[in-house]
Amino acid sequence: MLDHTADLGMIVRGKDIEDLFISGAKALTQTMVRSENQRPTRETRISVDGHDLTDLFIRWLGEILYLFEGEGLIFCDTRELKISSSTSLQAIVLCVPFDPDKHEIVYEIKAVTYHQASVNRAQGGWEAKVIFDL
Amino acid sequence: MDIKLEKIDEFRWLIPRTGDMRVPGLIFSSSELIDAVKEDQSLVQVRNVATLPGIVNYALAMPDIHWGYGFPIGGVAAFEINEGVVSPGGVGYDINCGCRLMTTALTADEIRPKIRDLISALFRDIPTGVGSSGPLKLSKKDEQKVARKGAAWAVENGYGEPEDLERTEDYGTMPGADPSVLSERAFKRGSDQLGTLGSGNHFLEIQVVEKIYDKRVADTFGLFEGQLTVFIHSGSRGFGHQICDDFLKEMTRHVEKFGLPDRQLACAAITSDLGQRYLAAMACAANYAWANRQILMHWTRETFLKTLSISPRELQMRLLYDVCHNIAKLEDHTIHGKKVKLCVHRKGATRALPKGHHLLPDVYRNVGQPVLIPGDMGTESYVLVGSAIALEQTFASSCHGAGRVLSRSQAIKRAKGRSIGRELEDKGIIVQSRGKKTLKEEMPEAYKDVSQVVEVVHRAGLATKVARLRPLGVIKG
Repeated sequence: MLDHTADLGMIVRGKDIEDLFISGAKALTQTMVRSENQRPTRETRISVDGHDLTDLFIRWLGEILYLFEGEGLIFCDTRELKISSSTSLQAIVLCVPFDPDKHEIVYEIKAVTYHQASVNRAQGGWEAKVIFDL
Repeated sequence: MDIKLEKIDEFRWLIPRTGDMRVPGLIFSSSELIDAVKEDQSLVQVRNVATLPGIVNYALAMPDIHWGYGFPIGGVAAFEINEGVVSPGGVGYDINCGCRLMTTALTADEIRPKIRDLISALFRDIPTGVGSSGPLKLSKKDEQKVARKGAAWAVENGYGEPEDLERTEDYGTMPGADPSVLSERAFKRGSDQLGTLGSGNHFLEIQVVEKIYDKRVADTFGLFEGQLTVFIHSGSRGFGHQICDDFLKEMTRHVEKFGLPDRQLACAAITSDLGQRYLAAMACAANYAWANRQILMHWTRETFLKTLSISPRELQMRLLYDVCHNIAKLEDHTIHGKKVKLCVHRKGATRALPKGHHLLPDVYRNVGQPVLIPGDMGTESYVLVGSAIALEQTFASSCHGAGRVLSRSQAIKRAKGRSIGRELEDKGIIVQSRGKKTLKEEMPEAYKDVSQVVEVVHRAGLATKVARLRPLGVIKG
């Protein structure tokens, strides 16, 4: 986690771009809700386009946030995830419906911000930095 | 990045215009507060705002300035209509996050034995916490009405009295709202969150008026020492968050065109189709927030009546005022002796109109606009009144609160091994909160001293002190 005075940030690493995107979605989910070891019962398609890799990463996380806030679905994993030309993402994501009796909510994240967001190659893999508005 | 800061006088610091800044930066602060400002990245953010097209006079910051995203929190910036831009990041995700203060005919002394019961009842009746949904389930058609009418929709539907609207900024309805520009996602997120407090720094607080500084204005506001009051801090919930997110994403396409130093500053020309659509959407969220706080107030009134078994005449819970502190507004100002229309962004800043201003309701026209400044859950809140100096120097803007000094993780570390709830009870403040970590993250030390922030605003003359309110009980998400 990154220390930001008013909000909350995170640095995520992945061995390749796809792994980075999946790790980012998992990290965001863990910041919102405690739901470890859940067996996914639902799947849904996500398709996003961005201007570049950083924009695509922010928009992808925005989709995961909406999945929870708008549809009541908690991201568990992906069955498929394909990124083309650093600007287009197609995924089938596996989810579990939010159940207030089973899942403890951690933070209400208003949005995934662009402030100081970055996606770069690092340490033989990929690294992303992102700040959430709480 | 090293930012040069020049002290102008006791309360003002200048960031001189350098590089691609179009105007200088101007920070209202004090020698006690300015060191903390230098430690985070908020001054860089003031500098960045100063580079935006069409900005007028200064990129301003209030004494509660702290590191936000894009714009600093506590930031104020005004833009020419024809040359300038509107930026969703300059408003914030929680569009029309704001405060509402209600007065009562009761004194704290007579209610003190019942504060615990009241807090428990409010905690039961007012939906709080992360992703909280309320008993209201709105159809899309109803949401469209809320988006157009704001607090007036709430009053028409039985949540409050017509006189409440007069005591709400913009009378609780921002003009120009057009629900046809909103996404389905915004409607979906807003459908069950009207009448909910939310989490984080949002709260509902029972307070006592501890000190009156300006008796004449306090009399007009209906405040007296020892009086029981209720303070609500909440916003436009997921509805507003989604609207900001939708338009910010659309505007990031234009970042290259404007050569912005931070993508979060994404903006559109005010006169462009995109700029106009954002303003119409933002007004929808502003109206949702006013309806939200109006409904929260109505339920608070009902809970007081039920819990205390008294009549509305005995309670006399009245709205003193409702102000927003995350907004962009088209306003008339005088620049170099010329009247101009500007788009004033207030991100964590409160409008502070002086007496005689035509936008004030009759009831406050002779004294000025009430400016509501919440503290954190353990410290005082303040009521101030707007002044002519603010109109001249800050586009009629003042601060909005204490402002954080500790990040959430720093606060949790600092609170390790302590019971913040017990510490607050020892100070005579009863707290109920939904989230386990909320009390630690929101503990008083995590915030600047609101009294110091208010002192700067008062002594710089942006708004002057009317009353200080001390918390007796708090509910939080």
